[in-house]
Amino acid sequence: MSENDTSPTAALAGRAAEILRQRAESLAQVDLEQSAVETIGLLLFRLAEEWYAVRIDGVREIYNDFEVTRIPRLPSHVLGVINVRGEIISVINVAALMRVASDQDHSGVREPNGIIVSSEPFVSTLVVDEIGDIIDVPRDSLEPPLSTLDKNQADFVSASVYTQERLVGIINLEKVLEPVGEPV
Amino acid sequence: MVEFDRTAFIKKFQEEASEYLQRLNEGVITLESDPDNRELIDQMLRDAHTLKGSSRMVGLIEISDVSHKLEDIMVKVRDGEMRYSPGMSDAFFEALDTIVFLSENAGKDVSEQIDIPAVLDRLSAVAASGEPSKPPSTPEVAAPVSAPEQGMEASASEPSTSSVEPLQKSQVRQAPSAARRGAPHQAAAEEKLQTRVQQTVRIRTEQVDRLLNLVSEVVISQIKTEQHARDLRAVQALSNEVHQAWSRVRARLADVEDGADSSLDEDIEILEGLMSDEWRQLAALAKEYADDTSRTSTVVSDLQEHSMGLRMLPVSTVFNSFPRAVRDLAHQFKKDVNLVIEGGDTELDKKVLEEINDPLIHIMRNAVDHGIEPVDDRIAAGKPPKGTIRLAARQEGDQIVIEVSDDGAGIDPDKVRAAALRKGFITATEAKSMSDREAMYLIFEPGFSTSAIITEISGRGVGMDVVREFVVDKLKGSLDVFSELGQGTMFRLTIPLTLAIIRALLVRVGEQVFALPTASIEETLRVDPQEIIKVEGREVIRRQRRTIPIVHLSEVLGVTGSAARTNKTPVVTLGFSGHRMGFIVDSFVGEQQIVIKTLGTHLQRVDNVAGVTVLGAGEVVPILNVPDLMNNARQLSGLRRREPTAAEQVEKGPRRILICEDSFTTRELERSIFEAAGYEVETAVDGAAGLAKLREGLKVDAVVTDVQMPNMTGFQLTKAIKADAILQGIPVVIVTSLEREEEKAEGIEAGADAYITKSVFNQDTLLDTVDRLIR
Repeated sequence: MSENDTSPTAALAGRAAEILRQRAESLAQVDLEQSAVETIGLLLFRLAEEWYAVRIDGVREIYNDFEVTRIPRLPSHVLGVINVRGEIISVINVAALMRVASDQDHSGVREPNGIIVSSEPFVSTLVVDEIGDIIDVPRDSLEPPLSTLDKNQADFVSASVYTQERLVGIINLEKVLEPVGEPV
Repeated sequence: MVEFDRTAFIKKFQEEASEYLQRLNEGVITLESDPDNRELIDQMLRDAHTLKGSSRMVGLIEISDVSHKLEDIMVKVRDGEMRYSPGMSDAFFEALDTIVFLSENAGKDVSEQIDIPAVLDRLSAVAASGEPSKPPSTPEVAAPVSAPEQGMEASASEPSTSSVEPLQKSQVRQAPSAARRGAPHQAAAEEKLQTRVQQTVRIRTEQVDRLLNLVSEVVISQIKTEQHARDLRAVQALSNEVHQAWSRVRARLADVEDGADSSLDEDIEILEGLMSDEWRQLAALAKEYADDTSRTSTVVSDLQEHSMGLRMLPVSTVFNSFPRAVRDLAHQFKKDVNLVIEGGDTELDKKVLEEINDPLIHIMRNAVDHGIEPVDDRIAAGKPPKGTIRLAARQEGDQIVIEVSDDGAGIDPDKVRAAALRKGFITATEAKSMSDREAMYLIFEPGFSTSAIITEISGRGVGMDVVREFVVDKLKGSLDVFSELGQGTMFRLTIPLTLAIIRALLVRVGEQVFALPTASIEETLRVDPQEIIKVEGREVIRRQRRTIPIVHLSEVLGVTGSAARTNKTPVVTLGFSGHRMGFIVDSFVGEQQIVIKTLGTHLQRVDNVAGVTVLGAGEVVPILNVPDLMNNARQLSGLRRREPTAAEQVEKGPRRILICEDSFTTRELERSIFEAAGYEVETAVDGAAGLAKLREGLKVDAVVTDVQMPNMTGFQLTKAIKADAILQGIPVVIVTSLEREEEKAEGIEAGADAYITKSVFNQDTLLDTVDRLIR
């Protein structure tokens, strides 16, 4: 709006625009304040030396000490299936999928630590080296994943967060749970 | 033609209608407060329309009439000719209640209890004026209608009255004349309403499946409990022995020690007391536990049976639509056919039922098309002019057998042999050594057809092979054919009662157990190592004058098998779509019923594995997918019928076709389709030009021709080609917009090899057909 333009309508319009801008700013402020206190829940787990996490709303249950049934010719990161109270659920070797180290070689059929996760409608079990705490972190403390991450990992890690004096990669469940095979 | 079983349809209608009526009722209420809800108006219009149509189909004309009026009104509302106002709700509810009443009393004469013409009149009045005429018992409702602003006001100012009153009125008017005829009728109507509510509950199938999942878990833990009860009894027997041994020791001690040490005596007595108590208590516990277990066992097996029953429906729910389908097919193929249905009340898992419709339709289509002869032929053969197709279902143990038989011409094994030979499915020697029965099974070969002409129905690549694969793959069953020349053909479908449970053979390979559906197993053998012959680097065995290739199941699955070779190698021979193959396993574990479970949501499709089952001990066992196994095994041992490789095609030179078509657009379209598929294309603008090119020595692999062309039609061209000694071997495909049966018949008469109508015309149909004819 030009300063020279002094017609009453233009002035009125200019004033209205100013009011709207201020209101928009104050609304945005409120938004920021709200998100500052908003937290998200994470379940921590360890793979070899590194810590990762899954968002708690994607976790169905923690499943310990189970026997995996091998299914022939599965992709290498899928170990097989388990029977959880009548429901058959696949088992993902998440370390192999992300190509990171793990304490175990997962060649046997017994697995000590599993996290049953879901990203509707897909459900699977992640086998991990150790299951840690459930923590709440402020949403705005989430950082983009490390730019130095290997491409393989970058796909599966949606964000990272610095907590309890370590950097934790948050697993992208949608990506990890991408279905195997064509729908029948 | 069989009489329609109207009652079964009426049941279907009632189920369907209750959904629409519910929605319409809700719709009326919503519309009162939101009269401009376009989406809702459209939906209500559709619902009324569907009700009209389906009630007419099952012969409930009165419902159809009432729905028709509702539809009329909704059309006007949709087109803005009138605006929905709460005042109209009365007439709507009355109409909907009338439909409910008529639907529940379907087939009965209810003219005494309900005055249909009056209902229709009131609806007409609404449709005509946008204002309902007042039914006798309706109190005055101030319902200004036509002026939109007033309508808005009305809906805003009196939402409470408008939403409550219609409900009251619909109660008052449950059956319009009931009030006049006194209370008993109304009570009867209410009672009827109650029983109806109790009879059916609609549940989503996933809910039932989840329940079944849990039930099968209960069954598994029950099996474990029974094992524990047995273990407990074994412990009890052990304790028995201990006690007996102790009794002997105690007797000896009494002799030896003779009152020497009283404290020892005391301890012995205490021990004796404790042991007796322990023995008694253990016995009581074991008995109680065993009793409880056997009681629970009965309950659990009932629970399993009943919950499985939840999914069972009579086959008639699918069969009932067949008379119509067969009638249409008979009409289409110009045959006279009667369909006889037997065993319609045989029950089958809903999932199987859903899948069974298409294969059965296809088999019946085949029966009408290829089985039943034309009337004249039948009379000449001394048969009744009208052909009969018999569709019979029955339960045999844990399987359902469905037979589709016709009293038609039967399958001529020689014709099948000849056709198979011509199409290169078998060699001349194989044709000779093949038994008639074996020859008959050639009809299950992919792409096989004895039919003289390919019409779009039998020519769209859906052959018996697809049907059989579907039956084996999806339904875990088997499909067999029996035929006697001149007497007829019978297809027998054997499928498990439910998709949830099948019989399976458990085999061990390496450290793992796998399940193979029994339906696909031909036999289980123990083969001497010297019986395994090596032919061209492949291992085969001879079995009843047939050579069966064998492979190691471990290799197909890519798992480590046991290295130890026994004298008698266990082999399972599987049969699928005419092929037989033997699979070497480490050992047979046994045959049993298994509950099929999917691999879960994450593993959507896994090669070789159809699902898993959970055995009694809780062990999870993969169920193998037979068609996959056969395919992979063939690939593994190089047995797969080789598709011509690109190199070979070049060697033979590109395939060339001639297109005769007077329309420039169509010609160029077809040309581009064939050229894109690697063909060399010659064109001619009409039949005469095409024929001239052929006679001049143009060598083509096939001719694709239009029908209506100047100078020489496609039919004339076809006749000319088929009458020419040199040219008659060239396959002719007629592509036309003519769709009348007479035209098709003319095409067949002219000797065309395939007939594709442009209405179904698509690139793939055309290419597939030509490709098949050239092969």
